[in-house]
Amino acid sequence: MEDDVLTTLKILIIGESGVGKSSLLLRFTDDTFDPEQSATIGVDFKVKTISVDGNKAKLAIWDTAGQERFRTLTPSYYRGAQGVILVYDVMRRETFTKLDNWLNELETYCTRNDLVKMLVGNKIDKENHEVDRAEGLKFARKHSMLFIEASAKTKDGVQCAFEELVEKIIQTPGLWQSEGHGRAVQLTDEDAGGGSCGGYCSLL
Amino acid sequence: MEEKPSDTDTDFSPDPGGPGPADHGAAETITSRQLTEQSRFAFAALCSVSLGQLFAGPEDSGFREQYLRDLVRCLDLDESVMPVMGAFLSGLGFEGTDTFLSILQADPLVAAGATPIIQDLVTLSVKHGQYDARARVLIRHVSCLLRVSPRQLEEFEETLGERLREAGEESEEESCRRRRRERGRKLRRYLLIGLATVGGGTVIGVTGGLAAPLVAAGAGAVLGAGGAAALGSAAGIAIMASLFGAAGAGLTGYKMNKCVGAIEEFEFRPMSSGKHLHLTIAVTGWLCSGKYNSFQAPWCSLGECGEQYCLVWESRFLRDLGSAMTSLLDGLVSMVAQEALKYTVLSGIVTALTWPASLLAAASVIDNPWCVCLNRSAEVGKHLAQVLRSRRQGKRPVSLIGFSLGARVIYYCLQELAKDKGSEGVVEDVVLLGAPVDGSEKSWERMVGVVAGKIVNGYCRGDWLLGYLYRSSSAQLSVAGLQPINIQDRRIINVDLSSVVKGHLDYMRQMDTILVAVGVPTKEVPGASFVLPQSAKAAEKTTVNLAQSNTEQRVSVTQNTAGKEESRDWREVAETEAMGDGWDIPDITDLLDSLNETESTHQVSTRSKVSANSEEAATDNATSSDFNAQNNSLEDADLNDDDDDEHISWSWDDAHWTTARSHK
Repeated sequence: MEDDVLTTLKILIIGESGVGKSSLLLRFTDDTFDPEQSATIGVDFKVKTISVDGNKAKLAIWDTAGQERFRTLTPSYYRGAQGVILVYDVMRRETFTKLDNWLNELETYCTRNDLVKMLVGNKIDKENHEVDRAEGLKFARKHSMLFIEASAKTKDGVQCAFEELVEKIIQTPGLWQSEGHGRAVQLTDEDAGGGSCGGYCSLL
Repeated sequence: MEEKPSDTDTDFSPDPGGPGPADHGAAETITSRQLTEQSRFAFAALCSVSLGQLFAGPEDSGFREQYLRDLVRCLDLDESVMPVMGAFLSGLGFEGTDTFLSILQADPLVAAGATPIIQDLVTLSVKHGQYDARARVLIRHVSCLLRVSPRQLEEFEETLGERLREAGEESEEESCRRRRRERGRKLRRYLLIGLATVGGGTVIGVTGGLAAPLVAAGAGAVLGAGGAAALGSAAGIAIMASLFGAAGAGLTGYKMNKCVGAIEEFEFRPMSSGKHLHLTIAVTGWLCSGKYNSFQAPWCSLGECGEQYCLVWESRFLRDLGSAMTSLLDGLVSMVAQEALKYTVLSGIVTALTWPASLLAAASVIDNPWCVCLNRSAEVGKHLAQVLRSRRQGKRPVSLIGFSLGARVIYYCLQELAKDKGSEGVVEDVVLLGAPVDGSEKSWERMVGVVAGKIVNGYCRGDWLLGYLYRSSSAQLSVAGLQPINIQDRRIINVDLSSVVKGHLDYMRQMDTILVAVGVPTKEVPGASFVLPQSAKAAEKTTVNLAQSNTEQRVSVTQNTAGKEESRDWREVAETEAMGDGWDIPDITDLLDSLNETESTHQVSTRSKVSANSEEAATDNATSSDFNAQNNSLEDADLNDDDDDEHISWSWDDAHWTTARSHK
């Protein structure tokens, strides 16, 4: 099974506290939803293999904590990420306006500038949207991001968000081809230590 | 969340004989629990990244995960962090080490010094009554990252050991009374259980006696920084009995079963007093007349490394060998011939044909005792492995050090341990000096798995006696005592002792210097000044005492790592301060070397390229923060592992590059 995995991609999920980052991830990886999802401590990590256009890709997804007190931890995870999912809550305008800060942080810490960004407006199942679709789309265009509205609760758009992101990454060969092999090795449990160093070195 | 520990306490407080009130006290004293949540996360993350780096092998996976689970529980972190910790363990996200460190160091509780949280790690590690060698290596690694000196660590371990022992001894007096008391209670409890059909939780309590408080400890309530003090007697006994070996008799009480194979003599003699949480066993290679007529003699300068024992084995044969060697060197072979021999061996033309007639004539004198001892040392080694495996020494880390045939004993001991699954975590560090054993990769690869820390191979390229003695026994040309071991493993450290060891006998005569050169703590500097950075000391000494080659090797090590210093200016500052506090280097160099050791073979080859000025530079800078800085670039070292070959041949000036290269 390892063999036919085309590449391993590092995906990062960022956004304000409470916008539903962990819920999106859980919906995507485990297809579950917990309305009482507790706040993430530090960072969470999940692996999932998905198939896009016949290419299998292993996603190593880092779900960061949105809470301010864990902000100091996040910069280290930007490194080497090939895809980023920015999440905002359509019910809370401030989570949308703060996206600029997140983009800044992304700019500051990520090690590659061609990484694929995806903007996700979460919680569309609820009514009284404070941020409408057009606004999100406009913002995404302005910063050349992919855009989708989703709901972790109703499954709307969740799968699609990840798939599109991966598709776009795979269409950008420079993003993953060079270290595809090294990363694949890196994720296998047995051969973690030494191999991983090489993987990172080559892509710096 | 905060209530949790006390809840578990109350669960167990009805348990008799347990340190009920002590438990309550302990819960408050776990410093690392009082850190902010992000610091606790960072601490756990730091540990798991380190664990992943240090113990990547599949054989250690059980230990890794168990330890981490305990740690997360001890830190009172939510279970939901386990997936990400698992990712760290498997080697992902190690680039976060810097971030974790800075977060931890920014915490007000740690800012004053990270010692308390390191102490928590130690108590966490021993609370199951087993101090795994791997846990100790991890603690050393983390404490070096957090700038806690090995000295402080050693001190705390000592105190904890003493406390545990006190608790144990006290119990011996009281044991009768306590047992009587318990018996009554147990009866009553059985009745209670029968009536109430209680579930799992209380059944733990029913095991009564000693185990219960420890199970309670498993719930993460016991043993904080002040945990040593909080150890109630019962917990103490259980831990103590397990940690320090059966019935406290440990190694000293070991008597060999008379039936054991061809071995005539095998016992342990203590060389230090007191109880420690780890121990060192020294194995002597031969015995001489005069000053070195005892097994302990060569090891008199062995410093702080836990309880010290020396292995007394086959003294009759070792004495024969010793006198044969002395007579060979002092009479039978002329000085001129010896010099010539040295260069013959140095040139690497070691075939039986090149040996001079005079030496071959003397063969009869030495070949026989040598062969006898070769065989016996292998047997003794296997027996030592059995002793260690049966945990006569208690469940705590053992370091092994030996020269010549003593090194052979250790080698065979490790080979034997490697045959069994589950022997990991027994042996911490190993130092082999002038080992008359096969130096091929295959045989060494097998045994690195059983050693948690480092394996130092101290060799001398010009040791003609070893080459000569080994000529018949070996069709193979690789002898560990004559050359570096070529394995890419963080554990193997090759140290070229050619400049200290002029002949094989020097392994005994120059032991003091050798110990310094290989980074083993020595007690030349007494008292407080002990905290003087030993590796820096080692480096100085190397420059002073050891001539050329060794120095150069050190230099290249320095270069590599100094070179790897990236964007760590803030830390450099901290280091300079730390220096004043007696920041002890050698134990970090262990770790550091362990990352570099793999290249030391390359270093040997590139040694000649190292320019003279780099030598001076090393002398000047050995103690400076630059040198010190290397210790912190562990992760960078890892990161740059691939590039290391390049680093080696840089001259000192190049080594001052910093950022330019880091953004490859």
